[in-house]
Amino acid sequence: MVIQYKCPNCGDDMAFDSESGKLSCGSCGRTDAIEGFSDEFITTRFSDDEAKEYVCNNCGASVITDADTSATSCSFCGAAVVLADRVSGIHAPDKVIPFQISKEEAIQAFKKWCKNGRLTPKGFMSADRIKGITGIYVPFWLYDLHSVANVNARATRVREYTQGNYIYTETKYYDVHRKIDLTFNKVPVDASEKMNDDLMDKLEPYDYGSLKDFKTPYLAGYLAEKYNYNNKDLFPRVKSKVSGYIDKYISSTISGYSSVRYEEKRVNTKETNAHYVLLPVWMVYYDYDKQEHTFAMNGVNGKVVGKPPLSMAKVSAWFGSIAAATFITAKILTLIVGGDIW
Amino acid sequence: MKMQVLFLTSILSAVFIFGFFNNVFADESKQRVFDYANLLSDDEIARLENLAFQHGKEHEMDFIIVTTQDADGKDIRPFIEDFYDEMAFGFDKPHGNSAILALDMSERDVMIAGFYKGEKYLDDQRATLIREKITPRLSSGNYFEAFTQYIELSSEYMEYMPGVNPDSFLLKTWFHLLAAIGVAGLIVGSMAYNSGGKVTVNERTYTGNFQVLERKDIYLTKSVTKRRKPQNNNKGGGGGGVTSGGHSYSGSRGKF
Repeated sequence: MVIQYKCPNCGDDMAFDSESGKLSCGSCGRTDAIEGFSDEFITTRFSDDEAKEYVCNNCGASVITDADTSATSCSFCGAAVVLADRVSGIHAPDKVIPFQISKEEAIQAFKKWCKNGRLTPKGFMSADRIKGITGIYVPFWLYDLHSVANVNARATRVREYTQGNYIYTETKYYDVHRKIDLTFNKVPVDASEKMNDDLMDKLEPYDYGSLKDFKTPYLAGYLAEKYNYNNKDLFPRVKSKVSGYIDKYISSTISGYSSVRYEEKRVNTKETNAHYVLLPVWMVYYDYDKQEHTFAMNGVNGKVVGKPPLSMAKVSAWFGSIAAATFITAKILTLIVGGDIW
Repeated sequence: MKMQVLFLTSILSAVFIFGFFNNVFADESKQRVFDYANLLSDDEIARLENLAFQHGKEHEMDFIIVTTQDADGKDIRPFIEDFYDEMAFGFDKPHGNSAILALDMSERDVMIAGFYKGEKYLDDQRATLIREKITPRLSSGNYFEAFTQYIELSSEYMEYMPGVNPDSFLLKTWFHLLAAIGVAGLIVGSMAYNSGGKVTVNERTYTGNFQVLERKDIYLTKSVTKRRKPQNNNKGGGGGGVTSGGHSYSGSRGKF
């Protein structure tokens, strides 16, 4: 079944407005607060059969979607629709961070970002060939983790001193043991198959202060995906994400030694909580030189990630001028210390 | 009255002569090549004298060459020290800026020593560099060429700031080119790498509470190894000293 939000005043379709954070009507300007909407769809379970085909309430056309899409717009009349069975039951998100950057702001921010590219081609910098910009709620798991690390290491402290005609090297050996308790809060892992993990990792951090309880109207007017991987599937990935932080902290607790050799490092990480959340991402599709480039923008703070094309001319110009400057500096230093120019 | 005038003139002329005497150390007529071992022809000595004078004037230095058959029975180091004390070389003053190259034919010892400005600008390292460069020519008996090279190299090295190794690769063009390419590659490479956006989260972003529950650092044992202090005067290499006249010098000695 599909959910559509009709304006109580004029009957037009309403959509989420990032500026006011409310549901707003494009025709008459009416806004409605989202906090008050009922959760009836979220708690409802739908039978599998029902989720085969969706029909737009406005025009009766079938809403064509991908298997993972949970919010989209009707391809005929453009009405914002939320596919209720895909955001309910086990697929009901706990929280959502609503978009705080509107489409126009996103385009402006993207154009600005393009101009800053020191190695991007001139034609690209004008950012006049944006093919499409789509606001997507990307499914993430936010993990709260508790780790206990047991570390045994052999450490040495080396001291050198001189006595008479000899230099003595004294090596002291230590047995080092640490038991460390670590907690992590809300480590995000992208749960959508379609989204590039590297791209999503670079989009962090999100401002968790603006996390809201999930309500379906937040999705109105945007695309949304449902998760492909559940919190069990993604646990190894979140573990590897924090393992670097854990190692860094462990080594920071073993200080004052000349060398440290780990003999045992047992890290037991447990999930204390996993929240299914939808985080806002603007996807920008950009045609340049007959190729499509995809960029992602954090829907809260406007951070842009994605590989822009490189301009060989600019790369060579930068390379050439840095190399020349370095060479001249080296030559000047040589002259200062008294050397010959060649 | 007349007596007074005469007295004054004599004082003035004494001052004048003394002043002139002072300048004599920079004079062309001063001897700088002492070929006691008769290794050079008169013509070669004259040419070396001229070369030493020209380069000495440029750096305010006395470039001295002394060859001896048996170093008066002394080792080359005390020989060079005594020679300097006795002859009072120096461009600026007696016992002043000098560099001395000494050759002992019986022991086949060669030593280069620098005094005052020479000590500063021809330190042990540079003296060693020069000595090693001229040794092949000395070994093959090309004394004139070796001495010429000694004066020219010393003069060239004195243009460098004290403490700088004149032969260092850091001053070579190939290194400058390499460094330029390396630095530019690194910077442009990181620019290109970061053009797609950087990871801006770190361990603090998601850190809740980190605490050490148990901490044990148990001292097990220690081991001590000893090695002999490296000796400074190994196989002739570098090393200066102080003459019995109290003049400190840098130097480098070896065999040829």
